[in-house]
Amino acid sequence: MDENRKTQLYGVHQKTAKLTVFAGFEMPLWYKGIIPEHLAVRNSVGVFDISHMGRIIITGEDAERFLNYLITNDVSKLLPNSAQYSVMCNEEGGIIDDFVYYRLEKNKFMFVSNATNREKDYNWLVKNAKGFKVRIEEVSDSVAMLAVQGPNAEKTLQKISSDDLSKIERFKCAPLRLADVDVLLSRTGYTGEEGFEVFIWNTPISNPDNAVKVWNAILDAGKPYGIEPCGLGARDTLRLEAGMCLYGNDIDESTTPLEAALGFVVKLQKDNFVGKEALLKQKNEGIKRKRVGIRMLEQGIPRPSFEICDNAGEKIGHMTSGTFSPLLKCGIGMAYVPTSQAQEGNILNVKIRDKFAKAKIVPFPFYDPEKYGYKRKMPPP
Amino acid sequence: MVKVDGYEVPEGLYYTKDFEWLKIEGDKVRVGITDYAQKQLREIVYAELPSPGTTIKQNEPYGTVESVKAVSDLVAPISGEILEVNTEVQSKPELLNEDPYGKGWLLIIKPSNLQGELPNLMNFNQAVEWHKTLIK
Repeated sequence: MDENRKTQLYGVHQKTAKLTVFAGFEMPLWYKGIIPEHLAVRNSVGVFDISHMGRIIITGEDAERFLNYLITNDVSKLLPNSAQYSVMCNEEGGIIDDFVYYRLEKNKFMFVSNATNREKDYNWLVKNAKGFKVRIEEVSDSVAMLAVQGPNAEKTLQKISSDDLSKIERFKCAPLRLADVDVLLSRTGYTGEEGFEVFIWNTPISNPDNAVKVWNAILDAGKPYGIEPCGLGARDTLRLEAGMCLYGNDIDESTTPLEAALGFVVKLQKDNFVGKEALLKQKNEGIKRKRVGIRMLEQGIPRPSFEICDNAGEKIGHMTSGTFSPLLKCGIGMAYVPTSQAQEGNILNVKIRDKFAKAKIVPFPFYDPEKYGYKRKMPPP
Repeated sequence: MVKVDGYEVPEGLYYTKDFEWLKIEGDKVRVGITDYAQKQLREIVYAELPSPGTTIKQNEPYGTVESVKAVSDLVAPISGEILEVNTEVQSKPELLNEDPYGKGWLLIIKPSNLQGELPNLMNFNQAVEWHKTLIK
């Protein structure tokens, strides 16, 4: 009867959140509301259940060589207890998935895939593993995963850990105990803010106690900072403000990382990897279209699939994501437009239902990085 | 006023299944969205409304309201000419969430066929029963 998948924290969400179905999982959309949850993360701290994401462990003497063959970023540079953002492509250079992966030990990696791509990624890894001495293990269902994000994330977690969390640098991770539970803590996230992601080992859905314990301890520790539990609604508006891609919206197998402005994760000087030839060719020929940030100058919210038109009213592209920015209080989004028209400051039209509304191409992130995000120079309010 | 599972349904108003209310004020009518509608949308951030002088037709869309996540058409409860538009909800759309039957009103209309079209709307008792079916 009930076909939706659930996470270890479903029991908590059911009582406290408005639920939605995402990638087949019954997940919190919001608890208090998207805007207050979003602003809690930008100004202080919020906690998310992201157990719906996929987790795959890759071990073996060929693990590095195997991953370096499949992904576009350079695995050889990654030290143990470090993380890196990357994509993996098909032979045509189309993006199979974007993800953060971790080097846990010299020959042990963890790969965190988008919820929508859990099965696809696993199958892609297994299919390409021929000839490599690797073991690929899907552990998603026995590991819970939380994100604690915002300028007060470290202070919050420090209260429930005896390790010095300030020693974990950005994109580094460490095995430690949080609220007396064994976890892997990494300074990563999907909001643009300072923050952590927490992997809670040995916590299957049939025995979710550890996940509930850590979740409650974080909420309790964050109380003085006004912590909010956050749903997928705020997760989406936060990643959009930060200019981060959502697989299935902004990138998919029909887009390449070069078109998606993810060239920084493509290391073309590496030895052969899947999609290299196609990407090299595209780089030499020049990309025809590019993912850009769109900020509305007039009223209206650009939604996915809305047309982008030039000043003569000709369609030149379309929105792939769009929302109301709770921080900037205007419509923002991402779109693919021809490279010739992708320069910052260019004014275009978004067709919102039957009307044209003026919008400007802006750099990512959408907010002022001096005031918000992990690079902020000013203390939070 | 009664509450049906937390959703306010005031007496003395007429209602449509497009989640709008209508109040007769002499020879004019005032319209807005219901408490149920605003609670479903939540966090309304835009209201796109026509200008005074525009003619609208019963059951046809005349504007939109948008929340962070969703867009919803506003559908005319009655035909007529728009006399007044609540400009305050355009600058403060949160009024639609805070006070949908009061400060969050949308339009004042001079109806062209009130007696003919009013039977297409639900009265208070019918609206209460209909709200009960929404919650099931």
